[in-house]
Parts: sequence; structure tokens; C-alpha cells
Amino acid sequence: MTTVNIISLNKTYPNSAAPVLKDFSLSVHDGEMVAFLGPSGSGKSTLLKLITGIERPDSGDIHFDGVSILNVHPNKRGAVLMFQKSYLFPFLNVEDNIGFGLKVQGMSSASIRAEVKRMLNLIGLPGIEKRKSGQLSGGEGQRVALARALVTNPKLLLLDEPLSSLDTSVRINLQEAIRAIQRELGVTTIFVTHDLGEAMAMSDRMALLLNGEIVALDKPEALFHRPRSVAAAKFMGVSTFLSGNQPCPEQGRRVTVKNEVCFSSEKIFAIRPEHIRVQKGGCENSMRGVVSDCVFRGEYIEYQVDVNAATVRARMPMPAPMFPHGAQVFVKFPQEHLFEVT
Amino acid sequence: MRHLTIYALRFLLYILLAAPPLLFAAYAFSTRWFFPAPFPAEWTTAAFARVLRDSRTLSSAAQGLGIALTVSLLSLILALPAARVLGLRKFRGRQTAWLLLFLPTVVPPLAIGMGLNILFLRLGLAGTLTGVTLAHLLPTLPYTIFTLAGSFARFDENYEFQALALGANPFQIFLHITLRMLAPSLLTAALFAFLISWSQYLLTLLIGGGQVLTLPLLLFSAASGGNPSSIAALSLLFIAPPVLVIALTARALSQHGNEIREQY
Repeated sequence: MTTVNIISLNKTYPNSAAPVLKDFSLSVHDGEMVAFLGPSGSGKSTLLKLITGIERPDSGDIHFDGVSILNVHPNKRGAVLMFQKSYLFPFLNVEDNIGFGLKVQGMSSASIRAEVKRMLNLIGLPGIEKRKSGQLSGGEGQRVALARALVTNPKLLLLDEPLSSLDTSVRINLQEAIRAIQRELGVTTIFVTHDLGEAMAMSDRMALLLNGEIVALDKPEALFHRPRSVAAAKFMGVSTFLSGNQPCPEQGRRVTVKNEVCFSSEKIFAIRPEHIRVQKGGCENSMRGVVSDCVFRGEYIEYQVDVNAATVRARMPMPAPMFPHGAQVFVKFPQEHLFEVT
Repeated sequence: MRHLTIYALRFLLYILLAAPPLLFAAYAFSTRWFFPAPFPAEWTTAAFARVLRDSRTLSSAAQGLGIALTVSLLSLILALPAARVLGLRKFRGRQTAWLLLFLPTVVPPLAIGMGLNILFLRLGLAGTLTGVTLAHLLPTLPYTIFTLAGSFARFDENYEFQALALGANPFQIFLHITLRMLAPSLLTAALFAFLISWSQYLLTLLIGGGQVLTLPLLLFSAASGGNPSSIAALSLLFIAPPVLVIALTARALSQHGNEIREQY
């Protein structure tokens, strides 16, 4: 149970001109799971390396419960890292792998065996103590790696894309398992991923990282529906931005969209693709366009409509009208779903 | 037909490998074997017993074995850090470092031996066991470094980071993770070092100056004597440790096969 404070971290690698992390600050509350979401090279993994002590920051500090850990040796920090690959030691069986952290800390064999058994029950794989890591499936390997990380009772659990190499069904199963175990043990967790769905499903809060900076930090549902910046919105799957005005701010979001789909000096509004309507007739807040693509995806239809010089992507839940390629349509941006971004 | 050819080639290979020791055995345990007789006329252990009775035989074998084992160990200790840096890190001058470390394999051994002899004479190491052991490191180190650097190039440091995060200190990581992960390569590198040192003639002769006697020296001396039975008996003694070491290494490597595959 630990509160983590990351204070103004800066890190630039020797052969790199641009910094990997720029004045990076964040607080992770006790028992909270925060997901870091960002593209490759955004500084996610570097942040984990700095916390574990594999790398040192150029400046800044990291506090666990108010105490700086930068001068604490990595093996004494209590920050356990779990990678994309399980990294189970191939020459040890499951019991010895899970018990490794306890063994190097000098715990007795009997206590280690009991702890390993408890952890195997917790991860839902009882009775596999004597199996070699090569005899485990990808999902089982990651569960064992999780047990190995948690058995030492860490202050902070760091997950570096631990599910990205797994099949979809195994991944969903493990997402639920990790979340349940994390909640049960109440261990503070930082989870790095580039999968939006995974981050939303697992985290209490999500931080979007771009070029070493946090561009958005909020609860998943808030970030999904109302991202505050263009960069955050784009990352959350929003591709339609409109310029417009807000004649009656006191009446909430009464927005009149101008007949253009681009950025301008005026206020910028965004709308999620599932809230855009493609219809035959025009109305308020709609624009004329031509269907350039229409894909039936079972639960919804995905439209691409050319409006002026831009392309609007809409995702209409079924049942919805199907317009063929080249059809003249109107694209409607319902006022209640438009939100302002900066 | 294809299978038949493969079997024939395999059989030929086995014959080529087995023929020299079998011929040595035939000569060592026989007497009066003259051309064109296909087999010796009489079998005896006399030549072998004579060679074993010679006090120099066992002492030179023990001395050679001691030197080879020490050289293997020292080679690993010296090669490990060099191989780690060369295998894992990219730095300016890396190619030059490779070239320098490999020089002993391309420079004529006689030139190295003479140079070392002068140096060791000044240092008081000529004619000593320490001197010979140190001299043997020169031809063995390039091979041990090359073998271990290849392994380090494929070595994933995340295994060590994982152990570090789990609470292991650097020594525990080295002992429980690094050495275990590299065990097959360490074994192979040690085998190379042992074989090179065990069969080293020129450097032992030049640096040892006759004071340090190993089996190759004794074998060369016997060869000039012209007694085929004695030469064969000594040769059998000479090839026994390498054959045993190779067999044990092959067995250990085959047992670790799965672990090596998992690692990569």
C-alpha cells in the first residue's frame, strides 16, 4: 500500500537529441491502478525503468510514501516489474520461479512453499509447482510471472504491456484476473499499454503520454467521452474536429457548426464517431457530403464521408441506413455530443 | 537411395573419427604387428604397463591436467567481463578491441612464444608452472571470449532486471541468473580452453624450458624414439581426457537444450 509521487522527472538518453521524459509529474494514490497509454517512444517504458532503478533520471525525484527512492538500491525499492514476456527463469520450475524473490531475501523453504501455494491459488493455477516454464502456455506464464511479482508483497507493481503478446481471449481473461487480484491485494499499480481498450478496462485512471509528456490524465470514462485536448481526443479515437461558435454559453453546449471541417482560429469542437449521424435530409448542425466508404461490421456500420476537403468518420449502430459509395448524404453532428477541445 | 547415401556418409564419418584411437589401441596392446598382416600377431599390455610405470608419464599427465583446468577457469574469469561488454554494448573502438583480442590467433605462435619467453625470463616466470599457465591463456582467451560474446549478444538483460526488481543483489543475480543462463556457453568455452591448453606443445616447451613437463612434450619425445607401441600407449593417454571432457560436455549440453531454446 503505497502512494507514489513522481516529481518533475527529466530523462534524455545519451545518443538522443530529444528528451524521453520532459518535466514529468504524477501522483498515484494508494492501491490505485493508473494506466499509461501512448505510442511507441512516448516514454512509457523509460518511466518504469526510472522507477525500478534500471535507469537514472537526469533530474527530478520519485517518492514512495513521501520518501525519495532515487538513492535506494533497485533491489530494495520494492517496485516489481512485469514485462511483455514473462521472463520466467527457464532453468527453474514454477515453484522456484515464484519463490525466487523470497529465497534471495532469506525466507525459509517451508515458508516459501506455503507462500507459493497461496499465490498459485490466487492466480487460479493450483498444483503446477513442479512444472517447468517451457511447459506453460503464454497466459499461464504471465499468471506465474504475476504471482512471482506479487509474492514479495511489493510496494508498487509495474506492468509493462504484460498482455500484448497474448491471444485476444487469453488477454481478456487475464485483464479480468489481474484487475481482480490487484483489487484484492490493494497493491498500487502502474500499467503501461498502447491498447486503449485494455487501459480503459483495467485502470482507475488513465494518463495519455505523448513525446514524454502527459497530455491528459483522468478516469477512463471521462477521458473517453470528454478528452480536453486535440491530442488526447485523437488518441481516444476521435477523428472529427469542427470549428464553430458558442452564442449562448450560459445555455450549455449550444454550438452552431460552421460549414467546414477543419481547425480554425475559432473554438474547436470534437465529436466521437459513434455520435455522428449519416442521413438523407439536412438539418441544424449538418453538412452535405459524399459517401466515400461504407463498411458493414455487424453491430455497426462504418462510414467515411467526404465533406468539403475533409473526411468524416462515423460509426452508426445497427439498425442504420446503408448508403452506397458515392451517395449524396448529410452528416449530422448532434449538439449534445459536441465537446470543446483546446 | 537418398537414405542409403546418408547412412553411408555417416558410417564413413564414424570410421574416420574412430580409426585413429582404434589404431592407437591396436598398437598399444599388441606386439609384432608387421605388414601385410591385417591384425597383430600377439596381444599384450606390456607397452602400456611400461609407459604407466614411467614416473614421468603420470606426473606430466597430472601437471598438464592441472594446468588445463586452471587455464580453463582463469580463461572464463577473464573472458566473462570482456565478452559481456563486447556482446552487449556498442561503443567506439569495439572493432579494435575485437582485433586486439584476436591477435593471438593470427600471429605465428613461435613469435608469441619467443616474445613471451623474453618477458617471462625478465619477470622470473620462465620455467615455472605459473609462467606456463599464464602463457596458455594467450591462445585460449580469444576462443573463450568469442564463445561467450556470442552468447551475450543473444542474452536478454531483462532476466537480470527481473531478478533485481525481485530483491536479488548483484552477486545473487550473477550467481543465480547470469551464470545459470550462460551455463551451456560457459561449458563450451571451458571445453575450448581445456582442449587448447591440454594439447599445447610449443608454448609449454618455450616457457617451461623443460622444467614443466606435460604429456604433449613427453609424446613428442617418445615419437622421436620410434617405438610405435609406446607412442600409441602415450597417445591413448593423451586423448583420453579430451574425449571424456567432450562426452561430458555434450551430455550436459543436451540436457540443457530445452532451457537454451526457451531463453531465446
